[in-house]
Amino acid sequence: MRAFRAFLSRLAGMFDRQRRDRELDEEMEFHLQMQIDDNLRLGMTPAEARRAALVKSGGVESAREACRDRRGLPAIEIAVRDLRHALRLLARSPAFAVVAVLSLALGIGANTAIFTLLDQIVLRSLPVRNPDQLQMIWTTGPSLGSNQGSRAASYPMYQDFQQRAAAFSYVFCRYLTPVSISLGSRTDRVTGELVSGNYFQALGVGAALGRVFTPEEDDRAYKGHPVVVLSYPYWVARFDADPAVLGRKILVNGYPMVVVGVSAAGFTGLDPARSPQVRIPVQMKPLMTPASDNLGDRRRQWLQIFARRKPGYTLEAASASLQPLLSVILRAELDSPALRDVSQRDRDRFLARRVLSESAVSGYSSLPSSYSRALVALMAMVGLVLLLACSNVAALLVARSAARQKELAMRLAIGASRGRLLRQLLMESAVLSTAGATVGLFLSVAMVRALLGFLPANGMLATLRAVPDWRILAFNAALALATALLFGLAPAWHALKTDLWDTLQQAAGAVGGSRPSVTLRRSLVTAQVAFSFLLVTGALLFGRTLLNLKNAPSGFHDIGTVITFQIDPARSGYPLPRLKAFCQQALQSIRSLPDVKSAGYAWVPVLSGREADWDIVVEGRAREDRDTQAWVNGISPGYWRTMGVPLLGGRDFDDGDVAGRPKAAIVNRAFARHFFGDRSPIGLRITLDTGRGAQPDTEIVGLVADSLYEGPRQGMRRQVFFPFPQMNQSVGTAFYVRTAGDPAGVFASLRRKIQELDSAMPVFEMKSLEDQLDETLGTERLSATLSVAFGALATLLAAVGLYGVMALTVARRAREIGLRMALGARQGALLWMVMREAFGILGLGLAMGFPCAYVLSRYLSSQLFGVEPADPATAVAAAIGLVAITATAALVPARRASRIDPIQALHHE
Amino acid sequence: MADKSDVWQGTLALMVLKTLETMGPLHGYGIARRIEQISGGLLEVRYGTLYPALLKLEQEGFVSAEWGVSDNNRRAKYYGLTRAGKKQLAKEAREWDQTTAIIARFFSPSGEAS
Repeated sequence: MRAFRAFLSRLAGMFDRQRRDRELDEEMEFHLQMQIDDNLRLGMTPAEARRAALVKSGGVESAREACRDRRGLPAIEIAVRDLRHALRLLARSPAFAVVAVLSLALGIGANTAIFTLLDQIVLRSLPVRNPDQLQMIWTTGPSLGSNQGSRAASYPMYQDFQQRAAAFSYVFCRYLTPVSISLGSRTDRVTGELVSGNYFQALGVGAALGRVFTPEEDDRAYKGHPVVVLSYPYWVARFDADPAVLGRKILVNGYPMVVVGVSAAGFTGLDPARSPQVRIPVQMKPLMTPASDNLGDRRRQWLQIFARRKPGYTLEAASASLQPLLSVILRAELDSPALRDVSQRDRDRFLARRVLSESAVSGYSSLPSSYSRALVALMAMVGLVLLLACSNVAALLVARSAARQKELAMRLAIGASRGRLLRQLLMESAVLSTAGATVGLFLSVAMVRALLGFLPANGMLATLRAVPDWRILAFNAALALATALLFGLAPAWHALKTDLWDTLQQAAGAVGGSRPSVTLRRSLVTAQVAFSFLLVTGALLFGRTLLNLKNAPSGFHDIGTVITFQIDPARSGYPLPRLKAFCQQALQSIRSLPDVKSAGYAWVPVLSGREADWDIVVEGRAREDRDTQAWVNGISPGYWRTMGVPLLGGRDFDDGDVAGRPKAAIVNRAFARHFFGDRSPIGLRITLDTGRGAQPDTEIVGLVADSLYEGPRQGMRRQVFFPFPQMNQSVGTAFYVRTAGDPAGVFASLRRKIQELDSAMPVFEMKSLEDQLDETLGTERLSATLSVAFGALATLLAAVGLYGVMALTVARRAREIGLRMALGARQGALLWMVMREAFGILGLGLAMGFPCAYVLSRYLSSQLFGVEPADPATAVAAAIGLVAITATAALVPARRASRIDPIQALHHE
Repeated sequence: MADKSDVWQGTLALMVLKTLETMGPLHGYGIARRIEQISGGLLEVRYGTLYPALLKLEQEGFVSAEWGVSDNNRRAKYYGLTRAGKKQLAKEAREWDQTTAIIARFFSPSGEAS
């Protein structure tokens, strides 16, 4: 308390210094006069009295100094003085300051930007109660049914876990699905999350308004809970944060439901990248996903299971305790009629299914895991770039301190302590790094905005923010501190290590600095070469991956002039027959547009990463003990013509292939080869394996060339296509329109055509198919673009570093070179002498870079496509690039060396 | 180096507080003279020790200072004991008694106390 009071008054003592000094002087003057008066009273002469008083009272100046130290906070005052000194010095060499601050700003800014994404997508814990107790649960192996999405489970299996798993205090589930929300005349398409009644309790999340779901109120009756909880941001954005929203009826997929609450602000859900706007009890599933009611079906896996462990259980123990339970469930399922005629092999594989589990402390991200892997790789790369920038600034500082060596030696000689000078030199680094970090922070905001552009732009990343919060600020500040120490300490230590006597004795004008300073700079540059080799290798690998993926044959023809967009009539309350009619009408209407050459639609949008797959049964064959998986889509007539995929045999679907007519299918070449070898598939019969003695009643009427499905990374799938009108389930519908001219010019008229048919029908994801492909390759584009940028930046930094060290060498050896010239050395030989040194540094750097690049590229192997991780051609290309850059950077100083005037050089010192 | 008359900082603060308690508000010179007198001339108080010590006591809130006029009509800064200063003095005096008592006990049995 006392100490704090004293600290405050000392803090205050740093201001208004002149007045305080004056008062002290006055006080001491009074003291002296009183002493003189007393001495006079003792009978001294005035002169004696004065002298005696002065002797007795001691030194005025030292008293002043002692009081000043006591009055303020000397540590802060010295720091402020150092700061002023550093600012003055930097102002005197603005070019150095600008280069240093800019390279640090780029390095720190890029690091902060990547960290911002990494933090929000990978690192951050969910904002819920004890997130470390949460885990996700799923099972491996064949489900002998349909799977929707990753890590999916059936609702009955969820119920079994929820009722019988003893290691968990809660087992809860969720399923994301798009829904249409109508209010007044406006219909929005938003993300909905179907949740079990205990969802909010399990997470420990409350309501900001009204109530959240409870198992008692909202999880009892099949289709019996028409209630909605809004997310906080959606409540603010769509309902203007109006509390009167409670109890209001809104239409969800055309079905009236009551808003009962708004969930807590700041709660985004389990997936930070994909936050739902509304939550709905899972019992409402049949109404929320029209035409598919999977709630009671054990053969349909669609929801994700999460659980909260009871205290005292580890993640491993808790998930291991589920394994016996799963075995019981699976055995019971095998006895059900649906799985009666499953082959023995499938039975065994089915029973061998295992429970897997993973901590859900950060939730579960629907972003492809390749994205977080790419971010980790980019974080490593950008860290290297920062190291490079640091070593360049360090090299610049070494050069400066070499120039200042005499000044420093002088100050040491007249008694400054090394610690004091070290603090002063470090203050200069701190000023640079703080300025760099501040500029970098602003840069990072812009960079994050740009980075978000690489992500799929369908609104699923609404929660990712570019604006830094305190975690980002802390990271940024830590970087500033770390870089200041990193690039400041070595040069400062080195500057102060100098031998006083030698330095002071040295003749004036020695610009080159002492030998150790060159060694230090040379090792810095060697490290730079190694780092940039790493980064250039990474850039080449990622760049080639992107090119390979983009140029991979898609099977489609000229996708730049094909427009795609989606509608979802089922979610506007259309029953299946009306939906089919609507799509057909829309197609007719679109085909009538003047710029449209052809059009068609499909059940699953292609090149979007989505898929549907099924096992296939072929007529005349018993259930096969082999892979019978095929990828399924439903299409309209005209689809193939629009996509530019040639028909190889048989016929396309036509307007006669509708419900009630004989069932037809078209297969692609990969499908035909897998199931029928070289035989023609036309006329053969197949069906989807729905498990219950399915009859192959569908005739293959056509054969088409191979084309991509989810995207280029997955390659040409074996695919089977059914006429859209003959399919009896529906998600959305993706339209494809081939245009005569610029696709963008047709967007508005396409929208109008749909709106003419139903003004409330949302049209979404309208873009050219080429843009769709780019979007699907977002991760690869992100990795490639950034790593190329980082690689270029790194090479530039290394080139600058190399140029600097070679220029220094030449300057330092000017005399020797002059002497050699005087003795008759030829220009070419001198040129080579300098270049040889540069290539020596390069060779050493490359030798260090090779093994590191090998290890790094192994880590990246899953991200690559069409290139081997340890691709020798890539390494050679990177090395050649660096050699070329090095040669260019070293040539300037080398030429300078070869043109040195021997007379001048020898006179110089 | 330090001559015999230099005062030890910690004890100086105690002496200043005690002086102010007995004498009431006093200026720096008065405090210095009083300490010298009490010590019988064994101690000598210089600017360099006195004023920083006073500043420290003021910062800690044990003494308060204000400008006034001396007996011979000069402007002078007067220091007075605050309530916190009185408490502090009582506490330090107690501690001092204890310390001296303990030290005395160490020296008395051997009979060599000087």
